[in-house]
Amino acid sequence: MSSETQTSALREYWQRGRGQANLMIGLAVTLTLVAVALVSLVWTPYTVSAIDIPGKLQPPSADHWLGTDQFGRDVLSRIMAGAVNSIAVSLVAVGIGAGIGVPLGALAAARRGLVEEVVMRFNDFTFAFPALLSAVMITALFGPGAINAIIAIGIFNIPVFARLTRAAALSLWKRDFVLAARVAGRGRTRITIDHILPNIASLLIVQMTIQFALAILAEAGLSYLGLGTQPPNPSWGKMLNEAQTLMFIAPQLAVFPGLAIMVTVLGLNLLGDGLRDLLDPRLRRLR
Amino acid sequence: MTLLSLQDLRVTIATPEGPATLLDGVSFDLAAGEQLGIVGESGCGKSMTALAVMGLLPAAARAEGHVIFEGKNLLALDEDALCQIRGRRIAMVFQEPMTALNPVKTIGDQVAEGLRWHMGLGRGEAETRAVKLLDRVGLPQPRFAPGLYPHQLSGGQRQRVVIAIALACDPAVLIADEPTTALDVTSQAEILDLLADVTAEARMALMLITHDLAVVWQNTASMLVMYAGCVVERGTTAAVFERMAHPYTRGLLAASPHALDRALPAGRRLATIPGRVPDPQHRPQGCVFAGRCSRAAPDCLPGPPAERALEDGHRVACLHPHGAELPA
Ligand SMILES: Nc1ncnc2c1ncn2[C@@H]1O[C@H](COP(=O)(O)OP(=O)(O)OP(=O)(O)O)[C@@H](O)[C@H]1O
Ligand code: SF4
Ligand SMILES: [Mg+2]
Repeated sequence: MSSETQTSALREYWQRGRGQANLMIGLAVTLTLVAVALVSLVWTPYTVSAIDIPGKLQPPSADHWLGTDQFGRDVLSRIMAGAVNSIAVSLVAVGIGAGIGVPLGALAAARRGLVEEVVMRFNDFTFAFPALLSAVMITALFGPGAINAIIAIGIFNIPVFARLTRAAALSLWKRDFVLAARVAGRGRTRITIDHILPNIASLLIVQMTIQFALAILAEAGLSYLGLGTQPPNPSWGKMLNEAQTLMFIAPQLAVFPGLAIMVTVLGLNLLGDGLRDLLDPRLRRLR
Repeated sequence: MTLLSLQDLRVTIATPEGPATLLDGVSFDLAAGEQLGIVGESGCGKSMTALAVMGLLPAAARAEGHVIFEGKNLLALDEDALCQIRGRRIAMVFQEPMTALNPVKTIGDQVAEGLRWHMGLGRGEAETRAVKLLDRVGLPQPRFAPGLYPHQLSGGQRQRVVIAIALACDPAVLIADEPTTALDVTSQAEILDLLADVTAEARMALMLITHDLAVVWQNTASMLVMYAGCVVERGTTAAVFERMAHPYTRGLLAASPHALDRALPAGRRLATIPGRVPDPQHRPQGCVFAGRCSRAAPDCLPGPPAERALEDGHRVACLHPHGAELPA
């Protein structure tokens, strides 16, 4: 509608959202992560891949806040740059998952019958393999690397979004206002775009934050296994992998990337939870 | 002039208990500007009739017969062709205004939608028309801004929005399926008056579906009485109420709420109808009402009674109608 009502709706969200601890913490963590990633694009304390063998395995100090790794590379710089990697991989992977899964789910709900059957069997097929396993299979098939990791994670996201969209859309197709839209002469595609998707948008946004957290974990897992981001590019999972052998000499090398992953995933989950509460139309109506 | 003509419409649906006949040979004509009431108990197929006209029967249902509208058999049209007719030439208002509107879209957008879609109006023009329509259905500016969301309106106000949406493209037929059942008494009367006004003004045919005889009496010129998927009595509203030839029609009157006491002459009240509607899976061979009919005789059982004409185009599907005590 008019931009005026939109602004007031945004203001209303802000008013209610401000009081929610999980939303605010999640938002703060997520924004910090994004800010760190953006900063790292133009500035890091040290050059990310600069090797300094004499200065290797330093504990945290004023010079190197988080210490250095086995090649003398600054850990803080690598974690900052690793954030870019995590965000990029997750963003694209969730984008693939939602970009393909949502239309598939919506199509299945709108068409029913054979189309639905085919879409959902395809989903079951992808779902039957544990996420990480299917990612391992794909990278094993196409070779390790960031791009293949993205595709692998993206593919296991497709059925998640397809199922969610189909289930939510099916219940909406039974609603009176959809029948009213059909009575008004709207075709299935238009109804999906105009009535179904706007009504499940909040659900999808919440799911995206959760899948985003899972994708970050998955990317770390794949890189940890050596199937994701390749050296010398920094990645949290790769850092964990390299720290493993040095666990008893330099435990901080495992702690910091581990913490980065944990805080990010926690923050995204809090954000998802908070958004769920904020966007729930039932709560909105109560006010 | 006949606008919409249902000819021997038969709707069956596959159920886990076997095929069920929901409509069994429904026929009637609707003329331009006519106000037709369809009355019957819950489950008798009133909504099915409306949905069949709209081409929106459940996926498992099969329709046979003809639904002729402006020379075309709607049952034979494909989805795209039907989309051109729905909302444009035939519009519909539902029972439940609380859920018939999209909760995430403004009322202005929802009224304007049809105008943009069917009439090809631009955004600004459609919104201007939408505001006019809202005003027409009793939602004046600035109190009822087009930017409001459905949850900001009462049930009666929402039903007005639904009516505005239905009126938007100036359809030839408006089907109102129990448009006031969910509303309080005051809003009921207002909404019915509004429907009568707007349809008369545009010479729009109105198909008013209800289970309340009083609503039919007060708002329609002609009427059908439906029972278990069949039309059992039809005629001008005055004639049907005058004679109440079918035993089921009389039973309906007895079971209907007190509102009729004022509307009708005294001495029209009867006991409630005993028994149950036959299962759509196991319809009797003879008269569908025989199991509950106090006038049933052996000749009612072998086959369905044909419709017979009484005076003034009044017709009844009964072998022993009221008011025909002497053998016909
Ligand atoms: N999807 C379906 N599958 C099987 N039977 C159905 C289905 N939908 C409706 N029916 C049956 O069709 C019959 C007619 O239903 P319909 O909705 O037309 O009744 P109605 O006259 O509109 O009743 P009400 O006054 O309650 O709205 C009912 O017996 C109902 O049980
Ligand atoms: S035909 Fe017979 S059973 Fe049917 S309504 Fe008339 S009298 Fe009753
Ligand atoms: Mg109904």
